[in-house]
Amino acid sequence: MTRARRPLFVKYFVTMFAAVAVPLMLGAMSEAWFAYRDQWRYLNEVLQVEARSTASRMQTFIDGISDQLGWVVQSPWTANEDDRRRIDALRLLQQVPAVVSVNLIDQAGIERVFVSRMRLNRIGRGIDMSEDPAVIGARAGGVWYGPVQYRHDSEPYMRIAVAGKRPVAGIVIADINLKLIRDVIAAIRIGDTGHAFIIDDSGRLIAHPDISLVLRGNAASGDFEGLKAAVSAANGSAVVTTGDDGKPVVALAVRASNVGWTVIAQQPIFEAFESIRWALWRSLALIAIGAVVACTLAYWLAHRMSGPIKHLETGVERIGMGHFDHRIAIHSGDELEQLAARFNEMAEELGISQQKSERITRLKQFLAPQVAELIETSNQRLLDEQRDVVAIFGDLRGFTACSVRAAPDSIMALLREYYEAVGAVTTRHRATLIRFAGDGVMVLVNAPVACENPAQLGVRLAIDMQAAVQALVANWRARGYAIGFGIGAAIGPATVGTVGYEGRLDYTAIGNVVNLASRLCDAADDAQILLDPVMARQVNDDFALTRLAKRAFKGFDDAMDIFAVAHSPVAMRDVAAPLQPATTKCRRVAGPGAIAQRIPCLEQSGA
Amino acid sequence: MAWPVAAQSQEATKRYHILWFSTQSLPDPFLDGFREGMRARGYVEGKNLTFELHYAPGDPAGLRQAISELRRGNIDLAVSSGPATRAMTEVTEVPVLFALSGDPVELGIVKSLGQPGGNFTGSTFLSLELAGKRVELLKDIFPKLRRLAVLSNTNHPGEQSEWRATREACRELEITPVYVPFAGPREVEAALGAAANARADALLVFPDATTMVHRSRIAQFAIDQHLPSMFGWSEYCEAGGLASYGANQRATYFSLAAYADRILRGERPADLPVVQPTKFEFVVNLRTARLLGIELDESSVLFRTNRVIE
Repeated sequence: MTRARRPLFVKYFVTMFAAVAVPLMLGAMSEAWFAYRDQWRYLNEVLQVEARSTASRMQTFIDGISDQLGWVVQSPWTANEDDRRRIDALRLLQQVPAVVSVNLIDQAGIERVFVSRMRLNRIGRGIDMSEDPAVIGARAGGVWYGPVQYRHDSEPYMRIAVAGKRPVAGIVIADINLKLIRDVIAAIRIGDTGHAFIIDDSGRLIAHPDISLVLRGNAASGDFEGLKAAVSAANGSAVVTTGDDGKPVVALAVRASNVGWTVIAQQPIFEAFESIRWALWRSLALIAIGAVVACTLAYWLAHRMSGPIKHLETGVERIGMGHFDHRIAIHSGDELEQLAARFNEMAEELGISQQKSERITRLKQFLAPQVAELIETSNQRLLDEQRDVVAIFGDLRGFTACSVRAAPDSIMALLREYYEAVGAVTTRHRATLIRFAGDGVMVLVNAPVACENPAQLGVRLAIDMQAAVQALVANWRARGYAIGFGIGAAIGPATVGTVGYEGRLDYTAIGNVVNLASRLCDAADDAQILLDPVMARQVNDDFALTRLAKRAFKGFDDAMDIFAVAHSPVAMRDVAAPLQPATTKCRRVAGPGAIAQRIPCLEQSGA
Repeated sequence: MAWPVAAQSQEATKRYHILWFSTQSLPDPFLDGFREGMRARGYVEGKNLTFELHYAPGDPAGLRQAISELRRGNIDLAVSSGPATRAMTEVTEVPVLFALSGDPVELGIVKSLGQPGGNFTGSTFLSLELAGKRVELLKDIFPKLRRLAVLSNTNHPGEQSEWRATREACRELEITPVYVPFAGPREVEAALGAAANARADALLVFPDATTMVHRSRIAQFAIDQHLPSMFGWSEYCEAGGLASYGANQRATYFSLAAYADRILRGERPADLPVVQPTKFEFVVNLRTARLLGIELDESSVLFRTNRVIE
């Protein structure tokens, strides 16, 4: 028998666990996905806002300088006003900290005034600057922005040139220290550590909250070129890339139109997704808790399902092993409890039936097996009835005389051998041994178990019994006991039934036939079997009989013929195969007054 | 939330040891500026910071003994103020922060301003570039200037470059410079005597530790001699000098603390660019101007000042 309990438990467990855990995980996962998407959108917006704000601040810074420069090129150049212009330029320096020096160029492109924070001022007609790209650029577009250069290989500078509305107003060129843009962007914080910075088209860093990065000059440019390329390629939306500090960031680029610089706003990815990371951890914790709960629940349920089944199985196994008093205790209140109740009922029935068979076994020690069988199987009192029976009496000759002389132990041993032999023969022929009485024995055929052709069976039984006892007799005689054995048998109607009183009942037959058989037994010599005429007539064809002289018996009015069964080979053969010749003579069973019975010999029931 | 506590306790247990080298003398306004900067960044002296001060007024060579102690190994940072740096060029064991008026590239302690590349970084005041500008401003204040006494400590590194720049400016502005050199604090009085005999219209004093230490004496000398005076740092002006033009020293030392902080946190001086001042202060002492009888033309000079001392 294969053990199927684990698989059932596992099946239940897995199913129930999945039923709870899978929806939970799906829920958490979809929540995480949506949270991620929302966070990404939010980041995109935040970075865009910050980048635009930075770009606009930067543009305001640059435009502010351009506007201030515009003040000094409002009126046309006239002779002898260089000193007034110088004051204008000095005021400009005072007003705009980022301006390091100012060149004022007249309409001819000649430098007229130069003032500086570091170098000596110059006044009056100076060098011709008409070929300077700043002058050309300003004349062409009104405002000209020069390239970013690192002075001393460190500080970022650029030149801005502004032309007056009319060419006669000339041009102003200012040197701008871009370090001051830092003040504009330093305050911009994206989250805790995110920031914005500005680079030009060639990847030169112009402004960064960490000014030392800017001051590294061209050396740091390479680090930013790759970042700028990656972020610019995203065309205004946020991308994940490697930031300026070599760590992964979410970055977004916005281009400032006037100067052609790019503002990059970035936030470390670790920080950018911090909120959803917490959400993710929360979800994971929920999943873990859910899984534990699901696990516990599934285990409990699966155990509740498979536990009783296991209980049932072991219970049934025990019952199967014969423990009919075992009861399966299941109180699950469901079909399993009902099933257990059914098994319990079954065990009870099995117990009762076992008790019955045990009782039969015990009864068989005292009753003829057939009687015991009948008592149990019919489960009612054997009905008293009138029927044709064969009564067979056997009796040991000379036993009384022997028993007086011999030792009691020897007598009892002798009797035991005798009873065993008689009992064996009776059982073999399925006859009913009514009683032993000392050295006598009474056997009934056809009651209470009916059989086919009782007369023939009776004769065969008598022959076998005689043969069995004679085998003993020879032995006994050899030991010095002068004992013989005679049998008388008669057939006829008798009343059969139980007699006695409550607690002590006997099955017996009453009628002339019993008396007659007893008388015939008395009359029989050692080794002789005597039959009454009725019986003799019935078995005449099957057995060799010898008619003896008429004889009168006590209690019988007329003398009657009696017959002795000859010791014939037929009889010997019948010992080996007792039932063989009987079948053909069935129709001759019933005698006058007998209850017609065609029932075949009852098979022993309850086998 | 165990991290910040752990970090705090770690900071608390670690006590940084900074050596301060200076050719000035106490009281030291630069040290005060630096200390202020360190305090602003959360350093507390005696708790997580200790200073060891080494002064050799006006004599960088006097620091050699102390500098050799840098090799003993438990120093986190050395800060050299002004000319003291000159004595430290050989130091390689510890990071050195400097605040220099001259050019650190010329001095050979950094490869370039953008990428120092060694164990030195700090600030340069670009005094050299401003030398000419001071002459010009002095002329703007005192247009009658024709003969200018230039007081210079020859012990100061880069002094010759500064004198050269000054000479060039004087030529362009048609001024005759009178060089009044002196070597070390002991010669200050003699130098002042020489300046008094130079028949100059005005006095230009190169910014330097020695003149800084004797700034009150020099300023008073200028007033006494009726000489309009020009200095490099506003501290001179506060002491009675007529005018000064240059970077704010105290602010520079204050911001130097930012680099000190970064280096203590583990950054390499090689990666920290040398800082140049962005803002130059033009300070005028009107009290002195009145004492000298100088009428400062409101339209041409005073509007250019960053600060006026009244």
